[in-house]
Amino acid sequence: MILTGVLLAVLGLGLVGWFAARGRARLLYTGRGSMHSMPAYHGWHLALWIVVPALVAWLVWQAVMPGLVQGAVFATPAAHGLPTDPFQLGAIVAEAQTIASDPGAVAFNPEAQALVEPFRAAQVKFGLIGAVIVLIVAFAGGAFGFTRIRPNFKARTHVERLVLGVLLAASLLAILTTFGIVASLVFEAGMFFKDVSPIAFLTGTHWSPASTMGDNINNNFGAVPLFWGTIYIGAIIAMVVAIPLGLMSAIYLTQYATRDVRKWVKPLLEILAGIPTVVYGYFAALTVAPLIRDFAASLGMANPSTESALAAGLVMGVMIIPFVSSMADDALAAVPRAMSDGSLALGATRSETIKKVLLPAALPGIVAGVMLAISRAIGETMIVVMAAGAAANLSANPFASMTTVTYQIVQMLTGDQEFNSPKTLSAFALGLVLFIVTLILNIVALRVVKRFREAYE
Amino acid sequence: MSKSDWNSPEAVRRLAKRHAAEKRFKLVGLGAIVLSLGFLALLLVIMLKNGVAGLDWDFLSGSDSTDATTAGVWGAAKGSLLTMLVTLLLSFPMGVLAAIYLEEFAPKKKWIEWVEVSINNLAAVPSIIFGLLGLAVFINTFQMPRSSPLVGGLTLALMTMPVIVISGRNAIKAVPPSIREAAYGIGASKVQTTFHHVLPLALPGILTGTIIGMARALGETAPLLMIGMRAFVVTPPDSLTAPSSVLPMQIFLWSDEIDKAFVQNTSAAIIVLLVFLLAMNGIAIYLRNKFEVRW
Repeated sequence: MILTGVLLAVLGLGLVGWFAARGRARLLYTGRGSMHSMPAYHGWHLALWIVVPALVAWLVWQAVMPGLVQGAVFATPAAHGLPTDPFQLGAIVAEAQTIASDPGAVAFNPEAQALVEPFRAAQVKFGLIGAVIVLIVAFAGGAFGFTRIRPNFKARTHVERLVLGVLLAASLLAILTTFGIVASLVFEAGMFFKDVSPIAFLTGTHWSPASTMGDNINNNFGAVPLFWGTIYIGAIIAMVVAIPLGLMSAIYLTQYATRDVRKWVKPLLEILAGIPTVVYGYFAALTVAPLIRDFAASLGMANPSTESALAAGLVMGVMIIPFVSSMADDALAAVPRAMSDGSLALGATRSETIKKVLLPAALPGIVAGVMLAISRAIGETMIVVMAAGAAANLSANPFASMTTVTYQIVQMLTGDQEFNSPKTLSAFALGLVLFIVTLILNIVALRVVKRFREAYE
Repeated sequence: MSKSDWNSPEAVRRLAKRHAAEKRFKLVGLGAIVLSLGFLALLLVIMLKNGVAGLDWDFLSGSDSTDATTAGVWGAAKGSLLTMLVTLLLSFPMGVLAAIYLEEFAPKKKWIEWVEVSINNLAAVPSIIFGLLGLAVFINTFQMPRSSPLVGGLTLALMTMPVIVISGRNAIKAVPPSIREAAYGIGASKVQTTFHHVLPLALPGILTGTIIGMARALGETAPLLMIGMRAFVVTPPDSLTAPSSVLPMQIFLWSDEIDKAFVQNTSAAIIVLLVFLLAMNGIAIYLRNKFEVRW
């Protein structure tokens, strides 16, 4: 409580410092060229000297204070006779802490109730000490900054150096995120591979993580059916839908449509890409899946399941259409005008030009676009969770229920199981595989696109 | 055909065949567009038909319930709002600052290339991977409260930031060098030039990209599923650390209900979500058309 107030006070001081330093710098101004920096920069310089060191002190105190408070509480008479078992002790202390910060809460444990008062007292005491320290740091920083306000002081340079540091830190966040993803996936997957051999995981064909109690755990974590389901739904069925539709709409829009038609149809197509995947998933489960089940039944299939690879794949394909279409659009636009003009001048019709000249020339770009589309489709989660099913089937029957890598990740992590079981950890191993595959697809595709663009420039 | 005679029956037949092929090809292209848009129309019509009857004030102001007739969408919508607030407050400044650095200040060095590669890749990493990151880092390592808007917002911010960086860089790149040179010419420093002249001119483009990134984050479900944002929330969350749900998650949870009455709720919630998304995209397009300057 106190520390939040101190934070506001420090910010207020910073504001005061800004005006004070600017005012002082204005007094020093005696004419053109008399000062290195504008008065406002002196203001910023002082404000930063007040706020930044105080903020650091505040953060340090936030980290140190809980330990000090606990030490003080344990030293009071109320803490005598507490259980020595660390687990019980931790529970009592946590309960007392909750009650101390939230007056509405009620204690279950009389021992915790006894600790509440010492806790509050210690928190107030150390809060006040911290507040004083932070304020002293703020004033010290401010005093130092204030003494530096001189006509020839390079306030702007100092402020700009800090700005650059902040900019740099922001752009390093991206690397940090990538590192965080790789580290957490590798770490958790490593725990999983302690129990299950990677070879059994990557080549086994039997997936039933629920029965982990068996003597041979390796036999239950064969992920090949999941890989197959992912490829079958995301890279085969979805692409059979998305490639022809996306490519043909791109061709029509770039080669045949008038400008007005293009202006209206393109944003409409892009709406398809903007619809959340959970909506597609619901649509697949509610409308498409029953239709496909009835269709399968009419083909004479016994007991077709509601959840089918075909339903998920079809809807996923529709979702990908605008993506393929815009990638193909870019690839076609990158082909030099002279090539199609030459073909038309020789007497070829438009469609002949497209098929014989434009498409072959744009092929690398289109292939790269399809690779990006596949990487997006195999990482897609909600559609398969809602429409593809949980059974790990290794079959080529599109009407069969089929499961995917993303489905299993969700399945493994949304139950109520303990965190470190091989079942939960397998989700991270699957995530690692998914990450690596999509990474490779993306890198290769971006390379191809880059080289393809350069070829025509 | 002995000599090139355009009127010989053979030539006429061949020409007719080629023209027919031309017409067929054009029709196939038109068909592809009609089919795609038809699917969109079908989806929207079915959701409207199922859901429009459920859109009333009680639905818009209520929270989740086990009874389909009293269940409402406000609890989840408020969760979405809080989550988006965290996402925006983190990803927008960080994304813009990173874009400025990479476009205006970054030295041509090897590690800068690594930053660029990693941003481009992050933009294409499946969203569920960000969920795994959030689970492993924010919840298991930092012990943040599960299923809270804070963790959801942090996770989505990491996902949205690369989108903002990429659109921000394009917007900054589009500002012509003459603007910068004019500023240098009257004695502005590089930081002053960037923040006083380049950034304001690039801002509409950056905002457009930000809104599109936020729209994507608003519709995202999979990463939030990983960090457990599927709480059954009877009262709207009142803080960033309270358990909460979000709109797409509410749709997912209702779609799992066995009670048929929830079909109407699910569709109505989808309509609410789509209205939000269309509004956001509309604003983005408006901004782009109104403020974007073609140099």
